[in-house]
Amino acid sequence: MSLPPITSPSPTPGADLPDTLPVATEAKERALTAWLLARGSALLGFSGGVDSAYLACVAVDALGPDRFLGVIGRSASYPEEQWREARAVADRFGIPVIELDTDELADPSYAANPANRCYFCKSELWGRLVPVARERGFAAVLDGTNADDRGDYRPGAAAATELDVESPLAIVGLTKDEIRALSRRRGLSGWDRPASPCLSSRIPYGTAVTSERLRRIEAAERAVRELGVTGDLRVRYHGELARVELSRAELERWLAPAESRRLHAAVRSAGFSRVAIDLAGFRSGSLNVLGGVTGG
Amino acid sequence: MSAATLERSLDELGIRCVVEAMDRLAVILPQDGESEAALVRGRREALRLLGAHGFTHLALELRGEPADPAPLHRD
Repeated sequence: MSLPPITSPSPTPGADLPDTLPVATEAKERALTAWLLARGSALLGFSGGVDSAYLACVAVDALGPDRFLGVIGRSASYPEEQWREARAVADRFGIPVIELDTDELADPSYAANPANRCYFCKSELWGRLVPVARERGFAAVLDGTNADDRGDYRPGAAAATELDVESPLAIVGLTKDEIRALSRRRGLSGWDRPASPCLSSRIPYGTAVTSERLRRIEAAERAVRELGVTGDLRVRYHGELARVELSRAELERWLAPAESRRLHAAVRSAGFSRVAIDLAGFRSGSLNVLGGVTGG
Repeated sequence: MSAATLERSLDELGIRCVVEAMDRLAVILPQDGESEAALVRGRREALRLLGAHGFTHLALELRGEPADPAPLHRD
């Protein structure tokens, strides 16, 4: 099958994807559809990210809109921009969604920001979504964990397991690159979108998560995006100092004096008094490294 | 972590600066424009030095415009 040319500049995620899908990838999508049909009905924690958007589209196709529901959990740590993307995907692809407010910040165990912070967040999320699934008669509760995620440090997965939340993308072995390729074929506009973990991931472990800090981080990232920065971006919180991580494709440009002054002003407009640019560029799980947390 | 020894190592690369340690993050404040340019040019070598001094991250603190207004503290 011939696909539209990829126009995104390298190293955009997935830019190296082939134009045709391997037989094994096609087989995994069929396995995913079969898995969903065997469950009969499902409720999905729907963030609007690449993985959950793809899974929602496959699930609606397989089960129909009456036997599938996406649930957006909204909280202070969920970026506004991602919510907009989630709603746009749902509208375009006919995905039935509801929204539930979650409040992980009210849990002192979460707000203290331990290394297993994600466990408390997911306990809150699934603790609200699983009862909704039961009330509405959905047979399964799903998340968008993929096969690559299983090697990462993800304490939130334990909370999902405790509440019998299933991860069909991982179960059928779909990797991130495969999901990007399959999403592109479906016309999902966000197929090459960088990963966008929750805003709390910008705060070092042991530093309290507050709604004010999350708002400041989100405002700073928005201001940097408005400068035209593309690709991976994180504004890491270090008290009065913001450490900006950019993709390697962007880093060189923003280290030039004139551009660095624009970056400085943009981040300061969000309320940080000091601004630094990370000289290694973006690193997924950067604060895990800083905090001495390893994968596995 | 040793900010002082990292400062000395960077000085040997022609980067005169102050290193501020924030846990395992080293924040570099170059003393002049030449040193900042040297750090930008030599950042790969500077990154290679980090581990020997106990750091995992290296960041360059940016300078604003001279008339940059006072910081806004809301935390």
